[in-house]
Amino acid sequence: MKTLKIFTITGLILGLVVFISSCSSAENSTYSKVDNNNIAYTKSGAQLWGENCVRCHSIPSPSAYNDTDWDTIGLHMKIRANLTSIESDKIFDFLKSAN
Amino acid sequence: MKKILVIMLLFFLTGNIIAQDEETEKVIDSLAKEAVAKYGYKPSGTQFMIRGYGHTGFSYTDTNGETESSFDGGTFAPIFLFKHNDRFMFESELEFTLSGGELEIGFEYADVMYVINDYMTVRAGKFLLPFGTFMERLHPSWINRFTSKPLGFGHDGIAPSSDVGVELRGAFYLGNTKWNYSGYVTNGPTLKDGSEEPEEAGMLAFENLIDNNTSKAFGGRIGFLPLSDSSVEIGVSAYGTGGTGDKGSEYEDVGAFLYAFDLSYVKQISAISGLIDLKAQYNNSKVDDAVYFDEHEDEFYTFDNQSDSFYLQLSYRPTMAGNDFLKNLEFVGRYSELNTPEESEWESEASQYSFGINYWLSWRSVLKLSYETSDIEGGHDGPGLTNIDSFSIHWAIGF
Repeated sequence: MKTLKIFTITGLILGLVVFISSCSSAENSTYSKVDNNNIAYTKSGAQLWGENCVRCHSIPSPSAYNDTDWDTIGLHMKIRANLTSIESDKIFDFLKSAN
Repeated sequence: MKKILVIMLLFFLTGNIIAQDEETEKVIDSLAKEAVAKYGYKPSGTQFMIRGYGHTGFSYTDTNGETESSFDGGTFAPIFLFKHNDRFMFESELEFTLSGGELEIGFEYADVMYVINDYMTVRAGKFLLPFGTFMERLHPSWINRFTSKPLGFGHDGIAPSSDVGVELRGAFYLGNTKWNYSGYVTNGPTLKDGSEEPEEAGMLAFENLIDNNTSKAFGGRIGFLPLSDSSVEIGVSAYGTGGTGDKGSEYEDVGAFLYAFDLSYVKQISAISGLIDLKAQYNNSKVDDAVYFDEHEDEFYTFDNQSDSFYLQLSYRPTMAGNDFLKNLEFVGRYSELNTPEESEWESEASQYSFGINYWLSWRSVLKLSYETSDIEGGHDGPGLTNIDSFSIHWAIGF
């Protein structure tokens, strides 16, 4: 059980670090508010769509759903696929613009 | 004369009003058509959606020379999504399966999710555990490249699939590398003590809607995507508890610790004109030593309760081929193995090779043709080697 405690403590510390580091941007996500130093900021929605969706399943067709549906799917996939806010914003903005 | 003039005036005014009404209606119609053309119908503030997947097919199985074949009745797995607002959502999945002539209903998950900030989301309820990636991301039939799960997952598997509790999860960038994380507290597994099924004494049962003791399970996963195109993901997961037995029983303080490593590499490579998809996961389960009763031998026994399983899957799809038929083909192979504790009633060593050719009818619909051969030493069928060869064709669709 010693290993379990080490994993638990490590996880709690990591969670605390993430929580503290995220407090400065606890508002709704928009491109201008998120960290613009990472690579996702320089990529287009189409590129992020091609890179991320295919990691689990075939790339969805933009025309498969309307804007309202993409909003719902966007929130679901952001959580399920561990997308960052900028990634999900760009991907689903692209899908809604191309459907 | 006056009457005639009054009547004519009334006609004129009435006609003018009617003409104005018609003009107004035309303007409103025109504006409405423009609005619909531009925005579609006005969406509601909250949104409810049903998605999901299903599959059906045919399978032929040869078990040590005994053959059987059957059309599979099909599986229907609706996923219910309710988006309350941009941060708050509910998700649930049921699974209806025809098995052995009966309808089985599975309660896969049901949880509420709230996005706290850009880097953190909380989930509560029954959720798919991020123990590795297979069960959380890859098991739906329209995503899984085979008709079966790798050894170690599903019924009698050693990897947990879902649990009831609370989870924090999120993703963030450090430089150009991406990380994702999850940490959770759940009811945890229950130890089968052999009182009901002696041949399964020492196994862990997951998905406990009501906890059998006061010990909770703690777990989590950290995923690391070192390359800027997110093509590679390496993950490490852990899940453990200080107690798995029923409260008040001699097994209450029998702890368990499980860990997993997972790997994913997905990349379109011009040199081979297609998409390579590599997935792998190693699972290890260790349950504290305990003493069980053997009804056949009428004696107590114990064993080193450690199991592990592994799978490696590689697929190739010629997405850059000039021919549309070739573009939709996918070739896939998988190796998996499962080793359960020596000297336990469920001791086994199993290995499995799977080969398949898939044809993608659309991005979410696939025809799967696969052949699988498994060698199982021990297990439920007792000592000795069991060889199972199976051929199957399935049609899966996501919606």
